[in-house]
Amino acid sequence: MNFLIDLILKLGTVDRRWIFLIIGTVVMIPLFFPLGLPIRATATTQQVYDTIDALPHGSKVLVSCEYGPSTKPEIHPMTLAVMRHLFKNNHKVYVTCLWPDGQFLAEEALDQVGGEEYGLKYGEDYVLLGFRPGNEAVVKGIVSNLRKLYTIDSRGTKVTEIPMMDGIHRFEDFDFLFSASAGYPGTIEWVQYAVDPTDVPMSTGTTSIQVNEVMPYVAAGQVNGILAGMPGAAEYEALIGVPGIGTSGMDAQSVAHLVIVLFIVLGNIGYFIERHRSKKY
Amino acid sequence: MLWKRQIPILIVAVIGSLTLFGWFVDEPNIKSFVDDDATQWYDILASFAIFLGGFNLLKLQLQKVLRKQYGWQYSLFAIGGFFFAIIAGFFYKGNPDVAWGTHVTAKGTLFKWMFTYMFAPMQATMFALLAFFVASASYRAFRIRNFEATLLLVSGIIIMIGRVPLGSNISSWFILYLLVLISGIAVNAIFKNKQYTLGIVVGGIALVTLAGNSMGWPLDQPGLFYLPYLQEWIYFFPNVAGARSIMIGIGLGIFATSIRYILGIEKSYIGE
Amino acid sequence: MNDRDFMVGASGITLAFLIYWFMGHPFFIEERIVMFLAIMSFSGTLMFFIRKARRGEEIFLREIPGLKAVEEAVGRSTEMGKPVLYVPGIMDMDQVETVAGVIVLGHVSKMTARYETTLNVPVSRAIVMKAAREACKESYLIEGRPDMFHEDMVHYVTDEQFAYAAGVNGIMVREKPAACLYMGKFYAESLILAETGNSIGAIQIAGTASQAQIPFFVTACDYTLIGEEFFAASAYLSQRPELIGGVKGQDMIKVIVITLILGGVILRLFHDMGMIDFSILEFLAVR
Repeated sequence: MNFLIDLILKLGTVDRRWIFLIIGTVVMIPLFFPLGLPIRATATTQQVYDTIDALPHGSKVLVSCEYGPSTKPEIHPMTLAVMRHLFKNNHKVYVTCLWPDGQFLAEEALDQVGGEEYGLKYGEDYVLLGFRPGNEAVVKGIVSNLRKLYTIDSRGTKVTEIPMMDGIHRFEDFDFLFSASAGYPGTIEWVQYAVDPTDVPMSTGTTSIQVNEVMPYVAAGQVNGILAGMPGAAEYEALIGVPGIGTSGMDAQSVAHLVIVLFIVLGNIGYFIERHRSKKY
Repeated sequence: MLWKRQIPILIVAVIGSLTLFGWFVDEPNIKSFVDDDATQWYDILASFAIFLGGFNLLKLQLQKVLRKQYGWQYSLFAIGGFFFAIIAGFFYKGNPDVAWGTHVTAKGTLFKWMFTYMFAPMQATMFALLAFFVASASYRAFRIRNFEATLLLVSGIIIMIGRVPLGSNISSWFILYLLVLISGIAVNAIFKNKQYTLGIVVGGIALVTLAGNSMGWPLDQPGLFYLPYLQEWIYFFPNVAGARSIMIGIGLGIFATSIRYILGIEKSYIGE
Repeated sequence: MNDRDFMVGASGITLAFLIYWFMGHPFFIEERIVMFLAIMSFSGTLMFFIRKARRGEEIFLREIPGLKAVEEAVGRSTEMGKPVLYVPGIMDMDQVETVAGVIVLGHVSKMTARYETTLNVPVSRAIVMKAAREACKESYLIEGRPDMFHEDMVHYVTDEQFAYAAGVNGIMVREKPAACLYMGKFYAESLILAETGNSIGAIQIAGTASQAQIPFFVTACDYTLIGEEFFAASAYLSQRPELIGGVKGQDMIKVIVITLILGGVILRLFHDMGMIDFSILEFLAVR
């Protein structure tokens, strides 16, 4: 018993590099040996799915990609899953980016899903309008006059020469917005400057840490559901029946969370033992 | 003195007031200024200001190399990377079939190569550090020192486990049994009476087992003890309440700071 | 401007607006009148308390441990002969948090000038670099130590978030500052900075209004200024009456907002029960 107590106390002062090593190991192992834990969608993910599924076929959907390589593991899977859902229901997908990095990743997603998986045609089924600098000014510009802001798309083609841009002049010409956002500018700016003044419905996917900030908008009904980080992406993949990167990362994330909780519990046990000893002596 | 004090204050007051009250004015030129021009002017200024920053960076790194200060070898990488990015962005496309401008994202260009094989992995690596730091910070900092810390810890654990597939596969009956055991520990700590402890533990286990048997051991019932439902409730209610109040407070702070600037009460931007 | 002149001016503006309104309020977007009145009344409340403070009336501000600790942190650095690292966030001067960070930098640089401690301010934006330099230069001049100021104490690292975090981490690990102050707008790099600062044994004080990053700073730093406390920092550190009055005004506005929320809940309840036609949500909706 004393040996156990001393071990727990020693763990309280362990070099943090041991913690890093343990975390690294527990994240890597499930990636090579998946556990196959079943994934159940939460209410907020289901709400996003139901909203997108209820759109009439052939709707004009604006997808905004504001994330970069750092948040790619969390947001990219949900972008791919949502695009798969949109293309499956024959919606027209227009992609803008409020972040410069977002354009690279949006292009990657469109090439993979639209081009390779669904064999769709650029300019007729999907278009990448690209990045424009200006943060919320871009959102305001899209609301008031999209063609003033986007005279050419990301490939340099004039917007007037793109067939699916017919009838698209401002934000209200879209039927739905999905914002895949990792920070500023992102979901909140879309809600404040675009969705609230125009009543165009919107859903979003954000990093797990951002869910706190966006949840008041979801609770108020301004945003129809939220995909919360990689778990949200995995849940959406389960709902559309196409497992992807999100699903494959869930086992690792589950085990990592469990290990962190165990660390916290051990740390507290050590804390109580120390407190008890210092009271005693 | 006029240029360094009064004129900057006047510019801030006029532009600030125009941007603030312009939102209420239904006049196309003012609307255009407020919605588009004001932020675009700022973006143009910020874009040109990058030269200031860039030259400052180059100057410091070159100084380190020339004076052979400690770590000067790393400065060579900084300078090399700086010029490499400029060459890839402005001078060498790598794919002659692509126009300038679109070469930034087009396939086969040096810039795209730099983004995919240098920038993206380095950014992802830095972000990945967070996983390790979160673990070490949690281990070090989360201690049950008082009631609020306990509440924070418990809700943190519920959300961490409830958010992932592992949590949705943990039966609410398991949580109930865990709570019975924790109650036993608490009763023992408070009363230090073995009979009370035994009574609580045995009684609790019997009650939970009876209830489970009668309900058929559903995974997600009773919902109060099912981690995914609990974490959703925490997100939707206490979290949203807290987030809203912090948002209001921050909004008021931003409002007050901005009004102080517009009224000329705060003059730190001119060094006062 | 004395009280009489202020009241005459305020009454004049109100009368002018009323006349303008009843004359048909040309060019005014009518749907936004509620927001306009809210801004005017909140500004009026702020100005009332600023004037009250300027008149010399005592205004109580509760103690904020994080701000008291700033001088302690600078003193610790002086004793240890190590620099103070100040990080004013990663965003540009268009964010009010960055502005607040530069304001606090002005106060911190006064302390470093007074105690002759080295100050290192790596910044992420060029405009912030210029503003921060001006703030530091002025502070060193006020303290009578212009010789101690050099432009390179405020230096540009990079705009890119994680490259900046890597650069600042490198500075921390090489120079081992005794005090690290993080005051401004932060995103994901906050924990990277704070954990590295913790690993070198520095005293860390953070101040931010970025909701998502507050928990990380609270966990890893010794003191954290949360939300409004950060915006009130300039009032605390300078003890200038108009700034303290502004903080009091903010608190009063909060009382007004709480009262409106409670009143709004009751009105909404009556509306939902069918007792009144008036919908508070429609009235307050901003278009």
